[in-house]
Amino acid sequence: MNDFVYKWRNPIFGSVSVVLFFLGWEALLTWAIPLNPFIMSKPSLIFEGLWLEMQSGQLWSDLLISGQPFIFGFGAAIVVGIFVGTMMGWRARVGYALDPLLTALYASPLVAIAPLVIIFFGVGVSGKAILIFVLCVFPFVFNTYAGVKSVDRLLVNVVRSLGGNERDIYLKVIVPSVLPFIIAGARYAIGRALVGILVGEFFAATAGIGYRIAWFSDMFELSRMFGYILVMMVVAVLFTEGIRWAERAAFPWRVGM
Amino acid sequence: MVAYIEAKNVNLIFTPPNRMPVTALKDFNISVGEGEFVSIVGPSGCGKSTFLNVLLGLIPPHSGEMAINGKRVSGPGQDRAMVFQEFGLLPWRTVLNNVELGLELKGVATSERRPVSQKFIEMVGLAGFEGHYPHELSGGMKQRVGLARALATDPDVLLMDEPFAALDAQTRDIMQAELLRIWQEAKKTVLFVTHQIEEAVYLSDRVIVMTKRPGRAKKIIDIPLPRPRDYEMRVTQEFNDLKLQLWNELKDELTVHGNG
Repeated sequence: MNDFVYKWRNPIFGSVSVVLFFLGWEALLTWAIPLNPFIMSKPSLIFEGLWLEMQSGQLWSDLLISGQPFIFGFGAAIVVGIFVGTMMGWRARVGYALDPLLTALYASPLVAIAPLVIIFFGVGVSGKAILIFVLCVFPFVFNTYAGVKSVDRLLVNVVRSLGGNERDIYLKVIVPSVLPFIIAGARYAIGRALVGILVGEFFAATAGIGYRIAWFSDMFELSRMFGYILVMMVVAVLFTEGIRWAERAAFPWRVGM
Repeated sequence: MVAYIEAKNVNLIFTPPNRMPVTALKDFNISVGEGEFVSIVGPSGCGKSTFLNVLLGLIPPHSGEMAINGKRVSGPGQDRAMVFQEFGLLPWRTVLNNVELGLELKGVATSERRPVSQKFIEMVGLAGFEGHYPHELSGGMKQRVGLARALATDPDVLLMDEPFAALDAQTRDIMQAELLRIWQEAKKTVLFVTHQIEEAVYLSDRVIVMTKRPGRAKKIIDIPLPRPRDYEMRVTQEFNDLKLQLWNELKDELTVHGNG
């Protein structure tokens, strides 16, 4: 029993705070503060609403609709970000030329141009995908750039001295050096992508998680609104924890770094 | 003595960006016999490590001839392998996969390289650590991996660039004794760069003293100590006389003009 507790102590302690948070919330609005359903909700109502959304199938269809631009936008950000970052790292002049501009764009709250993107590219999948792409591409660019720049010259020389050619240097030194940087970039990018979905759907959409959150809010259906927000939280946690798990599985050598 | 490693009039000039060109090696000549253990000592920045990189084939010289066993050196080759000061282990590879790197790059099949790498892992005393990653090893163990990796490619010449400089003093003593044991077992020609006089005397058949930059071979000193060598030899009169002789050659090169 004690071994069990010791082995799982991180998830156990982690869940305790989550459970206490919901219990406290429920208790507060049940006994301490009178519940005004127009401006408040409580966990029992939220989970009940969520259960109804699941049973009617509404939640799943919204997830599918929001998932599409996410996959396109995020996929494009991976491909373009890695390509641009690699060019910046390999060709010093490309790096010098692009660094200030891209840094400025990365640092600025690009969500602000969301309405413009929707006007240009419409309310369909493409507008939202482009918004997500714009938000997500920078972590991939800069992490790849940092990764390529930090490749250890000594390791390149080791492979060369043992008879390795350009391809060997690329596959046996550069790719494994840069990959962990890219995965770390993906963790930042996930959060930005979820913001992109929500904001894109707030502005113009007829379905999807973000649309539904905005709609329930307008309708004063706060229990349903919180239910959808909860779903987004779960999705975010699943993604980031999934990436972290994949990192540990794929790069056991980084444990000590 | 028939020259096994021969370098004739090697010249190398570096041109750092926006700086004056620096002559790193000027008419550098050495000649090493087969199976010999030769050390190169010299002041910091004299080009001794640079020479190893030139001989390894990583840096092309501006002029001069280099040959190993009569074969001209023009780029990296399978007759040479280097042990690097900073180990140069790939952090994402286990001990076994690091040792196998050279064979893998040669295109040797996994089933064939496994027994070879296993043999050298055992020779350097790392049996049982095959699955460990470099970050799990101490400095001395990392350099054992570096040595096994170099030996696994079965080179004729082992180049060692201050291989023990990053280790603490006790680990260095142990590694020196280990190196002598392995050298006698593997029968390689060794060219060993160090800045430590005692290390050079203890390990070598001959020691080459280099001048300050631009580096030339100033003097070659024979080390007639019997082999196999042991730790007690370091306190003999003969050993200390050799150290003093080497020091006398080296100290003129160490005088720093001006500040220092």
